[in-house]
This record gives sequence, structure tokens and C-alpha cells, in this order.
Amino acid sequence: MAEAQQILRDPALFYWILLPITVVMVLTGILRHYLSTLLQSAPKRQPLAKLREQRSLLRSANLRTNYAQISASAFQKRREWLIENARDGKFLADPDARGKGKPNPMSDPAMMEGMMGMMKGNVAMMVPQSLIMGWINAFFSGYVIMKLPFPLTPQFKQMLQAGVGTRDLDVRWVSSLSWYFLTLFGLQPVYNFILGSNNAANQVTQQMAQSQMGANPMGGAEDPEKLFNAEAENLEVIEHYYILDGVEDRLLERFQGAI
Amino acid sequence: MLDERELATRPIVQDSVQHNARTVSNIRALTASLFGVAAGTLGLESIPGFIFYALGTAVVSVLIFAFKAESEPKAYFYRPMADLWAGDMFGGLMSFVLTWTLFYNLAKA
Repeated sequence: MAEAQQILRDPALFYWILLPITVVMVLTGILRHYLSTLLQSAPKRQPLAKLREQRSLLRSANLRTNYAQISASAFQKRREWLIENARDGKFLADPDARGKGKPNPMSDPAMMEGMMGMMKGNVAMMVPQSLIMGWINAFFSGYVIMKLPFPLTPQFKQMLQAGVGTRDLDVRWVSSLSWYFLTLFGLQPVYNFILGSNNAANQVTQQMAQSQMGANPMGGAEDPEKLFNAEAENLEVIEHYYILDGVEDRLLERFQGAI
Repeated sequence: MLDERELATRPIVQDSVQHNARTVSNIRALTASLFGVAAGTLGLESIPGFIFYALGTAVVSVLIFAFKAESEPKAYFYRPMADLWAGDMFGGLMSFVLTWTLFYNLAKA
């Protein structure tokens, strides 16, 4: 590669390309944040039986994680009561549907609602992104505007110098599209300072969070009876201990050095 | 089982963990951007630029250790090694590259 390819650039490139793209990216992030906040549909009012089913499951799960906080007799009482009712199906929202197996997620309107919410979120992510990429490609393609301070492999030439059409130009000279990518990935701290930490401005981090969760959108479609049976079994095998067991020793141990 | 009991008697509160992690990542993001400004203004290229970033984050780690964690990282972080020293080392890299490129071009153009 040539020692130092110098290209004389008009300083106006900065004022009319770099700055607008940056400002637009920041503003889009803010817009995306408020859009996704507004598009969140309010949680729907659920029938009493359904709510009781969910809360009972939650309650039993809570007992399973926090059992050390209550004494042995209290835990025993709660466990017996929960297991008995779970086995009898007293918590089930629809006792007639026992043993009919898994419901079809498509037939349940509540499930459809949830999927619509996710679709809305994705649309709020995708539309601005493709719009801006189209805008940049339409207005600012075909010439280089900046030089990267680090070298890249020639594979990037296709993408970052799209439409420039000079074969020997160093890959470090890039067109406006690469500045778009840099801002796409690097603006997260800016959003953090403008919108607070829990913002929804950057779709890249959001996608990462989603893939980490590995959330199954159909997770709610489990057969509730099976869930209750599993919960009852889990409760049965717990070996109880009380957090205050031996607390005197621990306290004395802690203050031993102070004497 | 013993570990579980230990955790129950001295619980780790999720909110505090999150708050600490967020503080560290905020500091890192801000300093990474500022390092990018410095590297771009100095006109560093390729390897020296990244070395500059590595040195800068190391210094920031020491500063967090000394001032934010008051030299007692055990009290603030569950795993001091992973959360304070190595944690989020590359979280600010993209913002560093962003400001680095911007100021490199502004200074050299």
C-alpha cells in the first residue's frame, strides 16, 4: 500500500455530512426511546381465576426460594397447604380443562396480544434504522469523507467504500456509511447521559439483551396443571433449615475480636 | 449446601449489584470517550491508539479501586477481579473508536 495516500478534502464535508449524520443518529435514538415507551401497551386486566393461577405459582416459587426466612413449623404449614391445593387443582383457572394437554398458543387471544407487542417493538427498531441507511445511501454515497485511524483488511472495501470505484485506494479512506456504523455502535454512552441508564434508544444493546435472556415467547403456553404438579414436587423435596439457627454463635463470633 | 447457607445469612442484594455495575460502566463509557478525544487530537494511529486505550482503562481501573471502592473492592463487588479490574474493559471500546475517528479527522483535515 502506498506510504501515505493524501486526499485533499473540503472542510465543508464535516459541516454538511459528518455533523448532520451524527445529529440525526442522536435524535433517532431519542425518538426510538420515546416511541418504544409510548408503544408499550398497558397490561391487560385479567380474569380473577387466571390471576389466582399465576399468583399461586408465584407464591409457591417464592416459598421455594425464601424458605429459610421462616421457622420450620410455618414452612411446613405453607408447604402442606400449597401441595394439597396444587394436587387437587384448586388453583387452576379452568378446572374443566384438566388433562386436555397443551393449549394452542395461536387460539389464545392473550398470547396474540403479547406477540403483537413484541412486533411493535421490533418495528420501532427496524424502521428508523433502514430509513437512515437509505437516506445516507441516497445522499452521501460515492465519495470518501474520512480516514480511519486504524488499518482494516481489504474485505471491508466492498462495504465501507461502496460506490467509490477506485481500486487502489487505501481501505482506511471510508465513505459516510462507515461513520453511520460507528455512531450506531458507539453512541450508547451519549444516550445513557441524555436519557438515563434504562433507555431503549440503542437497538443493538437491546438485541443483545434479548438474546441473552433467551426468552421463549411461547413460554406461557405450558399446561398449568403440569406446572402445578412440578411445583408441588419441588416443594416436597426441600430440606428445610432456619436462618436463625445458630445465630447466637455467629453473633458472638462476630464480636469476639472486639472484646 | 454450605455456600447456600452462607448466601442466605449474608445475602447479595441484586439492586446494589446492579447499581455498582452501572456506576462502573458509566465511568468507563465517559472516560473511553474522553480517551478517544485525546488519542484523536494526538494523532495516534492503529496500534499506539489501542495501547493508549488499554493504558487509559487500566488507569481508570486503579482510580475506581482507589476512590470509588475505597481500596476495599470486596465490600462493593462480589467478584472484584471480574467486576472491577477486567469488567467492562471493552465496553467503552466502540465509543473510544467513535470519538477517536472523529477527532483524528477533525485534527488532521
